Amino acid sequence: MISQYAQIVPKGDVLLIQRLAEELQGRSFLHINSTKAGGGVAEILQRMVPFLKELGIDARWEALEGDQRFFDITKKIHNTLQGHPEQFHQSMWEHHYEINRKNAARLPLDADAVLIHDPQPAALVEFRKEGKWIWRCHIDVSNPVKDVWDYLKRYCEKYDSAVFSVAKFVKSLGIDEFIIPPSIDPLSEKNMELPEEEIHATLNKFHIPADRPMLLQISRFDRFKDPTGVIKAYRIVKKYNDCTLVLAGSPATDDPEGETVLREVKEYAAEDPAIFILLLPPFSDRDVNALQRAATVVLQKSTKEGFGLTVSEAMWKGRPVIGGAVGGIPLQIVHGVNGFLVHSVEGAAFRIRQFLNNPDMAQRMGERAKEYVRNNFLITRQIRDYLSIWYAMESKGKNIFEL
Amino acid sequence: MEEIKPFEFKQCISILKSTGKKAHNLRSLREVAASVSDESIFHHTYQYFLKGHILEYTNDFAHWAGEGLEERALAERLSNIDPYDFYNVSELRKELLGVMDDYLNNFPEPREAMAGDEFYFNETVTFTFPIGLVVKNLAEFLIAVKYVDTASLYYHFYEARIRLGIDDFSAWIDQVLGKRELAAKIRGIDLFMHSVEGIREHILETIEDEVKRGMEAIGG
Repeated sequence: MISQYAQIVPKGDVLLIQRLAEELQGRSFLHINSTKAGGGVAEILQRMVPFLKELGIDARWEALEGDQRFFDITKKIHNTLQGHPEQFHQSMWEHHYEINRKNAARLPLDADAVLIHDPQPAALVEFRKEGKWIWRCHIDVSNPVKDVWDYLKRYCEKYDSAVFSVAKFVKSLGIDEFIIPPSIDPLSEKNMELPEEEIHATLNKFHIPADRPMLLQISRFDRFKDPTGVIKAYRIVKKYNDCTLVLAGSPATDDPEGETVLREVKEYAAEDPAIFILLLPPFSDRDVNALQRAATVVLQKSTKEGFGLTVSEAMWKGRPVIGGAVGGIPLQIVHGVNGFLVHSVEGAAFRIRQFLNNPDMAQRMGERAKEYVRNNFLITRQIRDYLSIWYAMESKGKNIFEL
Repeated sequence: MEEIKPFEFKQCISILKSTGKKAHNLRSLREVAASVSDESIFHHTYQYFLKGHILEYTNDFAHWAGEGLEERALAERLSNIDPYDFYNVSELRKELLGVMDDYLNNFPEPREAMAGDEFYFNETVTFTFPIGLVVKNLAEFLIAVKYVDTASLYYHFYEARIRLGIDDFSAWIDQVLGKRELAAKIRGIDLFMHSVEGIREHILETIEDEVKRGMEAIGG
């Protein structure tokens, strides 16, 4: 497994991982999150845990068990931490704690390092045993509903350190706080190399003509992803350049607004035969991969965004990407170097035209984009970072290490 | 025959750590920059070159002044500060604060940064390690420079100047290989005018020329 990655990822990352693994040989590293299936965290853990085991680290992954009420509550916690108001009562925190307590009795929490992912299992820290405890926050908590954050914070402060994805998501907790961006897996179905025939077959399946440049946005049908803004930009471009537009996304079962937005987008597209609105079933990773590889220009014109890893996914395929300058997108796109950041529909249209009219520039930026992702957003970098902070936490106070 | 001291390639990798401090306008930037750790100032200046960037700015403070506050003149002045001109971080900090003070005293008050666009003060935990590549002559050195990660070039070409006052490459070429002229050419490559990848290309070109000339001389 490591050898497969070693052919793709930066050599230095593999070397540091191996050196740290030598230092941490045989020691135990426990990950706990809320589910083994679905979601970005589970996707990465599925790969990361066997990778760590192969290195001689005793890695384990446990998922929380809870009832429907618990997951309804944690969904509300998730929403409020991202700034959406919800009704929240003390009894809900009590149930949250109770489920955590039951899981603490069920799960062996003994490990040298314990990484707790997101708020669902955060209260497990009340039952901590020996070892270093790290709280890993994957969500944007920069503008949370205050009461909910204040309550959750009492758990977070009991950890030895916390990890956030972006500097602006960091909340002051009085403990060491690290910034570790998320990552993509270059060997997964969504990102692996695909044969040309498969890419063509995917285009045929969706009846997308391959004779014109194709603009693509992959995202849920959510207003913050601004799908109608993408159509507006496409219409401006269309006055100058012939092209198709593909808006593709999976329905989010936990998003009641999704259907309304999809309807609005379809109405707005108004039977334009060059606009393709694709509602992909879950597990359409290979199709997403093929569409990204077939696109001439990829957009992620969000007006609000968490990290926005679809940007790195497209960049990894060497595509020129135009992203809204929000959330984690500016960390991935260095404006004018490996893509463009935009602040308006007009800005997006202008940059699309630039790419369509300058294929050499588009190719150059796409190549730089791929290298940027290789150096910063592949799964091995995240493994490297987790091992690094674990190692650094064991020598608290030091910030330079020679290995 | 005297044994030639080989060149051992190393690399550094840094993990970001938050200081928990941020600035939302120039005044608060100045205030935090005056008290934040040396490690944080170091990260936002010297380590700027480790990131992909446009050649418009040379440190995070200048970058934020230009992009976050849209104060072009301030960005230009901050970008003109060469961190390698200073013996230590406190001297560099003094210079940064001086430029900010001068701007605050002589220009209209800059606007506040947009929410989410604040300046976040970070520092790093850094790991240094050998990458298992040791070279003994210029031809081997050339091949190595072609293939090492950018973080290794950063370590030897940028970071070494803080440790030793001189980059590792030209030091070895001068002191071990005795090629003074070549060393001076490499030392003369302007750090600020290129990305690390650009630096790689310049070093390669310079050494390739030298190796070719050496081969021609042998061929007579």
